[in-house]
Amino acid sequence: MSRLETPADLEKLREEIIAGRNAKEKWVAVCAGTGCRAYGAETLADAFEEEIEKRGLSDRIGVRRTGCHGFCERGPLVVIQPSDACFLGAQPKNVPAIIDKAVTGEGATDKLLYLDEDSGKRLGNLDEIPFYKYQKRVLLANNVRIDAANILDYIAVGGYSALAKALSGMTPEAVLEEVKKANLRGRGGGGFPAGIKWETTRKAQGEPKYVIVNADEGDPGAYMDRSLLEGNPHSVLEGLILGAYAIGASEGFIYVRQEYPLARTHAAKALEQAREYGLLGKNLLGSGFSFDVKIHRGAGAFVSGESSALMSAIEGRVGEPRPKYIRTSEKGLWGKPSCLNNVETWAYVPQIIDKGADWFRSMGTEKSKGTKIFSLVGKVKNTGLVEVPMGIPLRDIIFKIGGGIPNGKKFKAVQTGGPSGGVIPESLLDLPVAFDELSQVGSMMGSGGMIVMDENTCMVDTARYYINFLAHESCGKCVPCREGLRQMLAILERITKGWGEEQDLDTLDELAEFMEAASLCALGQSAPFPVASTLKYFRDEYLEHIREKRCSAGVCTALIAYQIDQERCKACGACLRACPVGAVNKSEDKVFTIVQAKCIKCGACYTACPDKCRAVIKVPAYTIQNQPAAAATLPAGKQ
Amino acid sequence: MDASKRRAGERAETQPLDVLIIDDEENFLEACSQTLQTGGYRVATAKNGTEGLKLAGESHPNVVLLDLKMPGMSGLDLLGQLTKTDPSAVPVVVTGHGTVDSAVESMKLGAFDFLTKPFEPEKLLETVRRGLSLSALKKEAQAAGAAEEQRHDKYDLLLQGLDVLGEAYSLGLEKRQLLDELAYLESEARYHAESLGQIKKKERAILDIRNELREADAIMKKYDFQKNALIQVLLDIQEKFRWLPRHILSWISGRLNIPLREIYVIANFYEAFSLEPRGRHTIQVCTGTACHVRGASETLTRVSAVLGIEAGQTDSRQQFTLETVHCIGCCALAPVVQIDSQYYRDPSRSKLEKVIKSLEKEEAQACLA
Ligand SMILES: Cc1cc2nc3c(=O)[nH]c(=O)nc-3n(C[C@H](O)[C@H](O)[C@H](O)COP(=O)(O)O)c2cc1C
Ligand code: FES
Repeated sequence: MSRLETPADLEKLREEIIAGRNAKEKWVAVCAGTGCRAYGAETLADAFEEEIEKRGLSDRIGVRRTGCHGFCERGPLVVIQPSDACFLGAQPKNVPAIIDKAVTGEGATDKLLYLDEDSGKRLGNLDEIPFYKYQKRVLLANNVRIDAANILDYIAVGGYSALAKALSGMTPEAVLEEVKKANLRGRGGGGFPAGIKWETTRKAQGEPKYVIVNADEGDPGAYMDRSLLEGNPHSVLEGLILGAYAIGASEGFIYVRQEYPLARTHAAKALEQAREYGLLGKNLLGSGFSFDVKIHRGAGAFVSGESSALMSAIEGRVGEPRPKYIRTSEKGLWGKPSCLNNVETWAYVPQIIDKGADWFRSMGTEKSKGTKIFSLVGKVKNTGLVEVPMGIPLRDIIFKIGGGIPNGKKFKAVQTGGPSGGVIPESLLDLPVAFDELSQVGSMMGSGGMIVMDENTCMVDTARYYINFLAHESCGKCVPCREGLRQMLAILERITKGWGEEQDLDTLDELAEFMEAASLCALGQSAPFPVASTLKYFRDEYLEHIREKRCSAGVCTALIAYQIDQERCKACGACLRACPVGAVNKSEDKVFTIVQAKCIKCGACYTACPDKCRAVIKVPAYTIQNQPAAAATLPAGKQ
Repeated sequence: MDASKRRAGERAETQPLDVLIIDDEENFLEACSQTLQTGGYRVATAKNGTEGLKLAGESHPNVVLLDLKMPGMSGLDLLGQLTKTDPSAVPVVVTGHGTVDSAVESMKLGAFDFLTKPFEPEKLLETVRRGLSLSALKKEAQAAGAAEEQRHDKYDLLLQGLDVLGEAYSLGLEKRQLLDELAYLESEARYHAESLGQIKKKERAILDIRNELREADAIMKKYDFQKNALIQVLLDIQEKFRWLPRHILSWISGRLNIPLREIYVIANFYEAFSLEPRGRHTIQVCTGTACHVRGASETLTRVSAVLGIEAGQTDSRQQFTLETVHCIGCCALAPVVQIDSQYYRDPSRSKLEKVIKSLEKEEAQACLA
């Protein structure tokens, strides 16, 4: 394929691709995102190809391996286009039936359709399934339609038309103005307006200027950036090129987490193909504008996601942050003006240029425009990636889209903003999801991790978890963060072991205040939020651990013990087989007991015990010293 | 071993030249021969490759210094022909700007050492001294080989070992550590010519080191030997060797001109690097938030029990490394275990055992093959 020399060339190519594609009546889109791959999506796609070939339907039906469709809980996902018929959990043995259904409308595929529990009806179409119905998929929409490794797919759905529009009819200033007018706020955490950051870099002294994609995605529990980069890398690239044009940058970087090899491969492939078509490199589309991009792999450090640390890492140095008074947008990579934005922020740019700022502003709230992708995970029925308009209540995301809490459990809290965020209790569930609203209640938007917690999640343990994570990830350069985290961790571990004292809670408050005020970078400044928010909304739980030495969620291992309820035990031996340390004892007359001295409280027996028996029970640790069977059982159910 | 070798043995008696210098630069020829003559060596010079070859054929020099860049016959061609016509001569390559490519190329053709202009007279004398002792050793071995047909195999080994030493020297350039190591090996070879089996072993070790250093070079070359690509280079090294061996790090330190200390700071800072050998397969248990709330700690205990190692450990046969990670980006399937590049949703004990067993079987088959 030859280079595209003008915007008209691009349009011509687009028409050709579409005409070629239209020859096929149907496409089978098999999700090949990370989740579905784990379920065997690759073999499934192979099976489709084989079956179609066997039936001689290759001219009429095409197979496409696409990026993440979002509904990872129920993978592997298959969508037939253009009808958008959606099949969940398909296996290679279902392939003939799905093809029958696609071709003739008949086929034994009922079991693969979504079952609506309220009405008992099977829902066959993507838009009918509640998980999709209440979303507004703008950025993720194309993931279902394109093969990320093929630039032609992206062009067919309108890709690079924003770039053509900007390069042929808009000045860099006009592109910048459009983004400013849209009030696109950074999706990576802080919510800083992208247009204003771009303008700072544009106006800053120094050449060359750099634009950088932050795909470090260090927030544990979030995988939006991965799915965008894996599923639709050209959208991020097109945004980056547009940004470079508006800012006057000649070189760009994509900083990808080392844990995401597929994202890296797809990004590399996208760069290569874009270069081949003259959409990257010298003289893009004959406009005279030149720009190229390199990929840099992160080497695994949470703090490297921070802007100044990320730039040090690209320079080949230790990825440590520096004080904020020098802004990277003015003096960043190699001391030159550098504009860093999150993957999702960049991916929005082409759409804004294409459809206009007003279109973007029509979605969301007064101060938070557009849509946001969340990684809806944890104790929620429909886990996956969801994209919603800003301002939608948390309750809608968790209950309408997420389908509520599984196994009949009660909702306890939802955590947003990752290690820099906080937990939000039931009473605040009607809060609209938007930057400022979430910050006001002690959490934050963050990059989009949304972890749902039920009654079996312990809030003290959650705080301990985050502080442990942060203590491990703190670069140790400044004292408040390094020592503050160490102290906090020590206190929280004491509490989870039942050795805490009430005054510890005051110390935690003090430490939080000090760290927030005196830390060098945002990691330390926001590190106390997980503690502060759990203390604020779940102080009772802390007190329960301290006063009663009890963890009613049954999580803090030091405070619980496992026992076998002889009345319920059917002597199946599942616990004995599951125990990794041989702590289950079987007497001659088949009475199973747990030897407390050997038990490491891993919970394997608890999980192994069949649901219908539930003979392995958790009891507060203090009860077993005196009496054998437990009156005071903790709530049942898997963690 | 054949007639040509035997002839070489006879030649040893005829008092050959010590050093032949081939270079198109007259000043250089003069300066070098003066230095060497003052040092008591018999020296001859030639201005180009053709002349040099002719002279070498007549006077059988022990050491040949030759320039890589000459008009007419190129240095590399000359080197190739020289080692064929006069296998006992020890060639030393001289060049204006030592590049890795020509170093590796000339090493392949049998160069013993590599001198980069300009160099100190002491350096020249030292190189020639070592070249001469190697040449003596070579000739000794050849002579002995001629006398005792049945011991040829052993001498073959010795010669091969010495060749490898020579190659390693030229790759080693100015690396002190490697030079010291090799000098030591050389003296060992001299004093323990009988225990050639030993040499064979060391030869293999050196060969391994040499190959590793070459691979490291190839990786650095991908990034144009740029200093700021250090993290990328280390990531590639980690991927290739599954850890960051010390000798490779010091090699990189010299090549990219970065203090070893700084390399260690980086290796310690980032999670991706390991300063101890890792297993051939990596098992990662995610302890990210989504996995944590869905019971990752129990999953970890299960995996650890199946493998018989704790998180952060590698088994004694270096088959498996178990580690915990904070999110592998597959949170919807929490708790997640990643075995090499495959993801598993909360695998049961029997599933884990099955996967591990099939990996072990693969390993065993690979060993047989
Ligand atoms: C400790 C720390 C870690 C961060 N990690 C990430 C990250 O993984 N991904 C990201 O996009 N932003 C991360 N950020 C935010 C970046 O510093 C930066 O604000 C962001 O990439 C800017 O892009 P945006 O304006 O488009 O959000 C992190 C910040 C801190 C303080
Ligand atoms: S938290 Fe385990 S994969 Fe993300």
